[in-house]
Amino acid sequence: MLACLCTVLWHLPAVPALNRTGDPGPGPSIQKTYDLTRYLEHQLRSLAGTYLNYLGPPFNEPDFNPPRLGADTLPRATVNLEVWRSLNDKLRLTQNYEAYSHLLCYLRGLNRQAATAELRRSLAHFCTSLQGLLGSIAGVMATLGYPLPQPLPGTEPTWTPGPAHSDFLQKMDDFWLLKELQTWLWRSAKDFNRLKKKMQPPAAAVTLHLEAHGF
Amino acid sequence: MDIYLCSKRPSWLVDNRRMRTTSDFQWLLSAFVLLYLMNHVNSQRKETPYDLKCTTNNLQTWDCSWKAPSEAGHGTLSEFCIDNRSRSCYQLARTNIEIPALSRGDHEITIRSLQDAGSSTSKFILNEKNISLIPDTPEILNLSADFSTSTLHVKWNDKGSVYPRHSNVIWEIKILRKKSMELVKLVTHNTTLNGKDAVHHWSWVSDLPLECATHYVGIRCYVDNLLFSGHKEWSDWSPVKNVSWTPASQPKVFPQDKVILVGSDITFCCVSQEKVLSAQIGSTYCPLIHLDGENVAIKIRNISVSDSSGTNVVFMIEDNVCGTVVFAGYPPDTPQKLNCETHDLKEIICSWNPGRPTGLVGPRNTSYTLFEGFSGKYVRFKRVEVSTNESYHQLLFQMVPNQEIYNFTLYARNPLGRSQSTILVNITEKVYPHTPTSFKVKDINSTAVILSWHLPGSFAKINLLCQIEIKKINSVQELRNVTIKGVENSSYRIAVGKLNPYTVYTFRIRCSTETFWKWSKWSNKKQHLTTEAIPSKGPDTWREWSSDGKNLIIYWKIWAFFSEAYKGPEDFMNPISLALHDLQTEQAVGMGKGILLTWHHDPNMTCDYVIKWCNSSRSEPCLMDWRKVPSNSTEALIQSDQFRPGVRYNFFLYGCRNQGYQLLRSIIGYIEELAPIVAPNFTVEDTSADSILVKWEDIPVEELRGFLRGYLFYFEKGERDTSKMRDLESGRSDIKVKNITDISQKTLRIADLQGKTSYHLVLRAYTDGGMGPEKSMFVVTKENSVGLIIAILIPVAVAVIVGVVTSILCYRKREWIKETFYPDIPNPENCKALQFQKSVCEGSGALKTLEMNPCTPNNVEVLETRSTFPKIEDTEIISPVAECPEDSSDAEPENHVVVSYCPPIIEEEIPNPAGDEAGGTSQVIYIDVQSMYQPQAKPEEEHEKDPGGGAGYKPQMHLPINATVEDIAAEDDLDKTAGYRPQANVNTWNLVSPDSPRSTDSNSEIVSFGSPCSINSRQFLIPPKDEDSPQSNGGGWSFTNFFQNKPND
Repeated sequence: MLACLCTVLWHLPAVPALNRTGDPGPGPSIQKTYDLTRYLEHQLRSLAGTYLNYLGPPFNEPDFNPPRLGADTLPRATVNLEVWRSLNDKLRLTQNYEAYSHLLCYLRGLNRQAATAELRRSLAHFCTSLQGLLGSIAGVMATLGYPLPQPLPGTEPTWTPGPAHSDFLQKMDDFWLLKELQTWLWRSAKDFNRLKKKMQPPAAAVTLHLEAHGF
Repeated sequence: MDIYLCSKRPSWLVDNRRMRTTSDFQWLLSAFVLLYLMNHVNSQRKETPYDLKCTTNNLQTWDCSWKAPSEAGHGTLSEFCIDNRSRSCYQLARTNIEIPALSRGDHEITIRSLQDAGSSTSKFILNEKNISLIPDTPEILNLSADFSTSTLHVKWNDKGSVYPRHSNVIWEIKILRKKSMELVKLVTHNTTLNGKDAVHHWSWVSDLPLECATHYVGIRCYVDNLLFSGHKEWSDWSPVKNVSWTPASQPKVFPQDKVILVGSDITFCCVSQEKVLSAQIGSTYCPLIHLDGENVAIKIRNISVSDSSGTNVVFMIEDNVCGTVVFAGYPPDTPQKLNCETHDLKEIICSWNPGRPTGLVGPRNTSYTLFEGFSGKYVRFKRVEVSTNESYHQLLFQMVPNQEIYNFTLYARNPLGRSQSTILVNITEKVYPHTPTSFKVKDINSTAVILSWHLPGSFAKINLLCQIEIKKINSVQELRNVTIKGVENSSYRIAVGKLNPYTVYTFRIRCSTETFWKWSKWSNKKQHLTTEAIPSKGPDTWREWSSDGKNLIIYWKIWAFFSEAYKGPEDFMNPISLALHDLQTEQAVGMGKGILLTWHHDPNMTCDYVIKWCNSSRSEPCLMDWRKVPSNSTEALIQSDQFRPGVRYNFFLYGCRNQGYQLLRSIIGYIEELAPIVAPNFTVEDTSADSILVKWEDIPVEELRGFLRGYLFYFEKGERDTSKMRDLESGRSDIKVKNITDISQKTLRIADLQGKTSYHLVLRAYTDGGMGPEKSMFVVTKENSVGLIIAILIPVAVAVIVGVVTSILCYRKREWIKETFYPDIPNPENCKALQFQKSVCEGSGALKTLEMNPCTPNNVEVLETRSTFPKIEDTEIISPVAECPEDSSDAEPENHVVVSYCPPIIEEEIPNPAGDEAGGTSQVIYIDVQSMYQPQAKPEEEHEKDPGGGAGYKPQMHLPINATVEDIAAEDDLDKTAGYRPQANVNTWNLVSPDSPRSTDSNSEIVSFGSPCSINSRQFLIPPKDEDSPQSNGGGWSFTNFFQNKPND
């Protein structure tokens, strides 16, 4: 009897159900990143409303959909569906990380330029949140064992306000910055949702429809 | 130009006139002749040089040209001669010549054409007045454009060297726009020639950005030489020069990022290769102005102030968009309320109000520079990132050592303009110290403390003025100003004296400078208790013998914490012993809060006077307070917080002699008199038929509240309930008033009254403070009893006397009287003749007279009698409770119909006082006739339901009736009866009328019960006096009135 008990105790650590080390894996951090993305989407809606009103008409008109003038340095979120599907997890996360790094830098430039204190506060608040998202993505990448992308020398996004950039083009850039940010948040939500499901038991296939709607 | 042609040939006109005939040809022939003649003339003119014209472009040479005769061929020589003093001729192979400018006046010019066939000569008179001054065509040296400012710069040479000096030149410059060369501007520009060639500049700012369309410029001139008397003309236009902009591939809008003044006009254009669809400024769409190619423009008039990010101007192009931002604002306002001061003499703070907002923010916001004139230093205003109070700006300027006078100029500048404000300050006079800190209090002694505080600043060269607020509990605050020499280490201390020992003080301090500018803010408050000190003076005392003279009462006052010099014990003198009976008590009334007492100077009084006072209503010992007055005084105003109006006080004035105090005067007084609060208590001492004696009591002093000045007594006829003596003061004639000013009088007899009459008496007291309340009483005067007694006694006495006399007489004459009035009468029993009469008197009941008693019924029933009342058909008066059963009806012994009636409202049971012979109780039932009358909606069906057909009015109760007593109608008649019927027949009323006296017969029980209308009409209950009167049938006027409007009338 005693021998039997000892045997059971000996094998106890081998029972899978009890053999949890406490490491939850990448799932929770992906979920948190996904949630943060959705929260930023919500936050951006409020910020965009305020900022577009600051830019004045026609930027705050709902049907205003100008072509992407200038703003070439902004990372584009729109991507061909086939291309997006062909991306692997590492590439997806790397693109997300790089995009938000750039966008954050531009946003900070926006903050420096904004004329009203209230707008500056809103932008600073959003930058903080975006910084958090960037950290979350970095965390997910670290969990999955992917290295963080290193910025190439000379490609560091910089804020260069100057007379060469007219006020109107600057406003267009601001408009497109917010628009790209919105599209990136949509795309990230899809990305993290896909990643989340992938890390979980098999789930239904994900269909991605990326479309850049006007604000 | 007036050139006179002089020909030596005879005038052809003369010949032609000769040739003219007076023939009668038709006018057509004449016209033909005329045409021929004209031709002939022309052929004549062309035979000599003609049409000489001279111009000049420099006033120094004249260019003359003429036309050669028609026969002259090419290369024909001409001779041009100027006939002046030295005739000068020129042989020429051409028809023009440049000659030096001729002097003023006429000059004869002869031009001879030298032809093969001969010569022809023409003479002309040439004058400067006939010469035209036509300057050479100017030429634009350079046309440049500043696209950023939309400015065109034109440069040209005036060629002044060819003209005499001091000629004025008018330049006319034309600006043409677009390829179609639309004239947009034509301006004149004046210059003066100075004998040398000079290059002139002219600039023009285009309303349309120069990038939008090609601009062309041309110029011409007009030389205005005052010495030249000939004709002056404009030069030809120079060849135009143009500026244009090479468009980029991308569409672009001009001007870019323009800052303009609010209210101005501005034109925007879009340079595009593609078609522009629309244009808008802000959210307003604008009509397009088409320029060359696809370029368009919009014109904005009276632009309004921009939002913080500027106003967007956007041109929509197919698949593209381009735009610009315009910033409409104002130039900086003059900085207002510029003020410079210092807190610490180290740093100067200049503050100002920027005035009207410019509407420009960010990099276009107003920049401020504060410049100091003497030192040449300046500081720039840096806008803090955090939102600040936009209506108040300030700059810090570090003070220059040893400089006190500062000349500050504040420059404000933005893209639309600049402004400035200046202030000259002596900074030592503009010190607004910081709030004193580290404020502490330290004791020196019981009446002095040391205050210390810290005040940062380098005030070593100036004096500080500080204000100390000293506040004692329950006392007004005291402010003390002190001047302190400024120190470098910022620590200050000062002693504060004249404080009270052992007192809680609250201190605080603020500072300024001796050349006052502003007080600093108050420091924090510090509470401090001064230390205790020994008393400086003995107590103020007063002594009195008690009323029984056995005890001496000593009073003393507790001094305040401080006092003057100590006084010796001279107050300790003998107590008062002077009796009061020698003195008269005087009266006094105060004024305001005090009372003034005066007395005559008494040289015997060597010490001071003492006035003591007390509330007169207080019990002994009576002392409220006392006051000592110097011996040379003759008056004293006694004031005390304890004095109250309407309270009587006793004041005693004592004089001081060596041996003690002596009472000099006794005064009763009021600080302020008030009206009495009670009325005098009065009673009626005696009442007679024509007078009343009234007596009243004194009002207690406490309730009198002033010196009694008298009473007012009012009386009038009136009873308690009716008499209202409301307006006593109004002087009503029926109210009699007696003013009793003798206040010792306590009774009053009111005479001349009427006997047995009620009188209303009112008494009230008054003081100088007003009327007191009134007290009233009702008294009835007595009857005149003497007359009454006399009226009774005299007849009685007369009757007694008459009776006595009569008795005496009767007694004396009794025999005579008997014989006369009572003679003996024989016994009737013994008289046979009277036997019959006796039997009659003693007979059986068959011969008795009528006895009433057995006839009185103890119950009365009201019956309908047809014979008594008219039948009222179809009446609607039906009792709503007609069918109400009544128990007693079952027990009805008789056959006649008795209609029951249920009372709707009032039912009252009256116990039968005399017994229960018929039913025990008698019911008296009242009914409201109107309530009966109301239910008209009850139609005849109820009438039909009525048992026995007795519809209509029914008596209130069912009473057993004695058919033998009442002669009522037959029962058949009752069946036919309908409509209202009175409650009883007239006979019944006769018996039971309330007015008829009840029978006192013990056998009769008549209970009077009211009619149904008894509540509404008493008349209805009164029976007719005359039974035979036709009125009786109707039962009274009110009854008739009720039904006189019945439908069946």
